Amino acid sequence: MKNIIIGQYIPGSGFLYKLDPRTKIISVIVLMVAVFLLKSIVQLSIAMGLAILILIAGKISIIRIFRGLKPIFVLLIFTFVFQIFFNKEGALWVDETMTIGFVSITSMVLWTIIWRMLAKFKKFKMILFILYIGGLYLIMKYITYGTIFTTWQFLVYEKGVEMSFFVVIRLLIIITLSTVLTLTTKPTDLTQGIEKLMRPLKVIGISSEDFALIISISLRYIPTILDEANKIMLAQASRGADFAEGKLKDKIKQIISLLVPMFIIAFKRSEDLADAMESRNFVPGRERTRIHDLKLGRLDLLTGLATVLLLAGSILVRIYL
Amino acid sequence: MGYLDIEHLYFQYSSKRMILKDINLSINQGEWIAILGHNGSGKSTLAKLIVGLLQPKEGRITVDGVDLLPENVYDIRKKIGIVFQNPDNQFVGVTVRDDIAFGMENLQVSKDDMLKKIDFYATKVGMQNFLDKEPSQLSGGQKQRIAIAGILAMQTDIIIFDEATSMLDPGSRAELMEYIKELHQEGLTIIMITHDIEEALYADKLVILKSGEIYQQGDIPTLLKHPEWFKEAYLELPTAIQIYYDLKQAGHDNQELEEYLWAFSSSK
Ligand SMILES: Nc1ncnc2c1ncn2[C@@H]1O[C@H](COP(=O)(O)OP(=O)(O)O)[C@@H](O)[C@H]1O
Ligand SMILES: [Mg+2]
Repeated sequence: MKNIIIGQYIPGSGFLYKLDPRTKIISVIVLMVAVFLLKSIVQLSIAMGLAILILIAGKISIIRIFRGLKPIFVLLIFTFVFQIFFNKEGALWVDETMTIGFVSITSMVLWTIIWRMLAKFKKFKMILFILYIGGLYLIMKYITYGTIFTTWQFLVYEKGVEMSFFVVIRLLIIITLSTVLTLTTKPTDLTQGIEKLMRPLKVIGISSEDFALIISISLRYIPTILDEANKIMLAQASRGADFAEGKLKDKIKQIISLLVPMFIIAFKRSEDLADAMESRNFVPGRERTRIHDLKLGRLDLLTGLATVLLLAGSILVRIYL
Repeated sequence: MGYLDIEHLYFQYSSKRMILKDINLSINQGEWIAILGHNGSGKSTLAKLIVGLLQPKEGRITVDGVDLLPENVYDIRKKIGIVFQNPDNQFVGVTVRDDIAFGMENLQVSKDDMLKKIDFYATKVGMQNFLDKEPSQLSGGQKQRIAIAGILAMQTDIIIFDEATSMLDPGSRAELMEYIKELHQEGLTIIMITHDIEEALYADKLVILKSGEIYQQGDIPTLLKHPEWFKEAYLELPTAIQIYYDLKQAGHDNQELEEYLWAFSSSK
């Protein structure tokens, strides 16, 4: 629970920190669109290069971004594998006969058990996972003796490989861009930026101030709520509950025994909070001044310009290449 | 007529049961009054009525001669601030600075003015070095001090503390009481709601609430002469006073000790 980081802002000094949040939000969105206009691996690789240049210019450690990728590692692998398996266009590159038989299934089960036993080395989770998948491949390919149940063809096509790289690189760029945004912008500034950008929605009756307030209060209370969940879990663990192990039925019971008190507390909290806000003269929809004031500077102009150029570039590439 | 007057106030929530019955109370500017009552006696309900979070069933509340009505509750709240019990449930801002600013933002104070006042009042409660901290980095006592700073920045005349120290450790509790004493000396009117008699001893005047009614009110030494009243209202006596009565009942009549124990309780 402790390592869930909300709004993974990390203080720093690069130029990205000096930009107005509005500039960053818009630029990130525009650049994402630009990335989606690109259609070859070469173009995407250049875009990736540019993204890395932005990181370097903004003095952001690339390792940081990489660490941020960890949670979606599985998604990346899945995307990659999905493309390789299901895209059947272009030249046939790999054609392997895979065997499933008594001996190979036994081996796979053993291999899985070994993998699960090693799972306690959390640090090497990714490497172990890759080794595991690789192992399964080798088992199906080379363990061909004993009773054979069935065989299947492992086919990889040129386009499949290309597309899997294409999709994964694109995903990487998108994630890098959004990570840059949240890494260099304080949550308060981010909500402030969103609030200002949503101003025009007032015409259709959406109050951007209220919306921003809801976001910022949620941000403010997430750590408190997690802390509370931790306390309740500890209290219940001390009475013998075990959240890590146990049957599914027990787990569900324990989760319910966690959620019920959490909901009760949250309900009381929201009542208290409404009272506290009202007693400090908050009236929904009423004009308020703001302590955070956003100002656009020269840097924002330059960034905006660069963003527009990049978008124009990818539009041209899209049309002419 | 006091600064804050409550006349024949009745209140009930949706259920039939009357929670507050015929409350009459008059509080002068600069006074420190303690409202003491057992759990569920209606203390918080009374506090919410005073700041207009609830509307009376019957009776009236006037502040500075103006009736507290839904139409003018916004203006009356500029005069009365309230610090609630749970430090975590009233911290609205993402940072200390934002939280102190919240009330002022609602009052449309200009940004420059806000920044000055934040500095001033954060310093006043000893939190000037914490302006960029988030609530999860603060102790309960610090959060309550921030709540006070936020109210001071709104420049109210009265601050209500609704069991504001009850969730704090003894150290932060004593610290907070010192800050409140200081505010009182500077002329703020303090309404201290508590179920802890030791805390009530700081006040000029004590109001004992029992099951939604004002059971006794008066100055503290007078009330302490009647230990049976406290018992009747499900309250404890200050430890020193309790010792005095226990000794007396056991037949010990030591004039010197008696004086010492009484002085001990009124030294707050
Ligand atoms: N929102 C509510 N709805 C209904 N009853 C309430 C509500 N809040 C408090 N009460 C009831 O009103 C009585 C007084 O509560 P409260 O003012 O919180 O007492 P105190 O602060 O002295 O402990 C209690 O009996 C409580 O159960
Ligand atoms: Mg209460």
